[in-house]
Amino acid sequence: MEKYEPVVITGIGIVSSIGHNISSFINSLKNGYVNVTQLPNINENFTYPRIGAYVKDFNYKEVLQRYKEEETLIVQQALRTTLRSTPAIGMTTTACIEAWNMAGCTSKPVQANRKGIIVAGNNLMDEMQYSTYEQFKDKPNYISPSYCLQFMDTQYLGILSELFNIKGVGFTTGGASASGNVAIIQALWLLRTKQVDCCMVVGPAAGFSPMTLQSLHNIGAIGGKTLRNEAQKACRPFDKAHEGFIYGQAGACMILENIECAKERKVPILGRIIGSGQMLHASRASEPSEEAEITVMKKAIEEAQINVNDIDYINTHGTSTPLGDITEIKAIKNIMGDHCKNVWINSTKGLVGHCMYSAGIVEAISTILQIKYAFLHPNLNLENPIDEEMRWVGSTARAEEIKVGLSNSFGFNGINTSIILERA
Amino acid sequence: MNKEKIFNIIKENMVELLFDLDMDSVKITDSLRDLGANSIDRVDIIMMSTEALNIKCEMMEFKDAKNIEDIVDILASKLGVHEDGKV
Repeated sequence: MEKYEPVVITGIGIVSSIGHNISSFINSLKNGYVNVTQLPNINENFTYPRIGAYVKDFNYKEVLQRYKEEETLIVQQALRTTLRSTPAIGMTTTACIEAWNMAGCTSKPVQANRKGIIVAGNNLMDEMQYSTYEQFKDKPNYISPSYCLQFMDTQYLGILSELFNIKGVGFTTGGASASGNVAIIQALWLLRTKQVDCCMVVGPAAGFSPMTLQSLHNIGAIGGKTLRNEAQKACRPFDKAHEGFIYGQAGACMILENIECAKERKVPILGRIIGSGQMLHASRASEPSEEAEITVMKKAIEEAQINVNDIDYINTHGTSTPLGDITEIKAIKNIMGDHCKNVWINSTKGLVGHCMYSAGIVEAISTILQIKYAFLHPNLNLENPIDEEMRWVGSTARAEEIKVGLSNSFGFNGINTSIILERA
Repeated sequence: MNKEKIFNIIKENMVELLFDLDMDSVKITDSLRDLGANSIDRVDIIMMSTEALNIKCEMMEFKDAKNIEDIVDILASKLGVHEDGKV
């Protein structure tokens, strides 16, 4: 099998329910902070629990001032072009500016047509489309002319490529809940095949319409059924009392580049991505597949050209969904065998909820931070694990030197992905 | 309603899209394009203004407008405002 040059991570950015930037996110990870709340129902006919890990007290205009000196032009333009957009776009743009700034892309620029951008997700404007339809019913002729651009996911490409002057390859990747990993994997290929030297991978904050949320509730996917009044406890991956995923709001971004590009620019390397796998299990349903999860993790390990025993840590897909959680544990046990006792396991979704399209990117960021800063974040709600044999991080953070971490993301319609990250 | 009021309504909608613009310095002879509004911003500003004025019209009617005054004139004609500002 061909050995690929490692792709390196030089910038990360996040706006999540447990931190509006990377440094506050690290603190929350270490403390196992959870910020899940329940909001009042919008309409008495909507029966889904309006429970989630929401981004609160986020003042876009104010937050951007932090980057005003180093990223003057970008901040000015961001305010002009996105201030009127949805809060999700504001959060996501902020995460991108943080990652861009960390990667030193303004002070040590990459040629515009050698920069790429991949936006993770599909149907990103669901909530906005729903609310526009409400207006349309009343006054159809006054619909905003720009709606025809805004409803398309590619709006993110337009806004961000204009903001960061990205003129190479760009597209959106739909992969349901695995979108973030799908985007990272596509970026790996763009970089390995030298289509671009540097690639911005964007995980937009998902905004669901009441219609979508009600449907997710009706299919049985949303948690917080019996724990509706104990919101902080509702998100509990791998715990016996898990009962579905909890929506998480987060915009996230990673700057990936070829190692030569990072060396030439003399920018610090946060970590590497050394392997990936993406496989379908040919299904139009929502169920996971143990077999496909095994195959995809093996594929990532093979691509990284490492052994199973080299893996120190797994950042699980771990959504807090009964079938999903047990299936993933079975798949991990199948691959790891005896090595299971050495592999640390946690779920970042237990802290930030299920961030949907950005989940893979949020979790890759969480993985690389735990590797870089030698700690493992706890999962406070994991009180009675569904499996006693796994090496759960448990209820307190641990100081652990980890070198290699694997991060899983699985999605509806049989989408399975796995990536492997390594210390720089 | 006179042309001045229509101009002010347009300016109110411009603030939403071009928030960093000094509105006091905006003249009726300025073009939206020169003030930094791209093609999408321009149609949005016009659409929001027609809604505020409760006028129904097609965006195509504004295709030859060269500056804010041309937009004001088209909106004024829809409202039946005459050159002297009287309805």
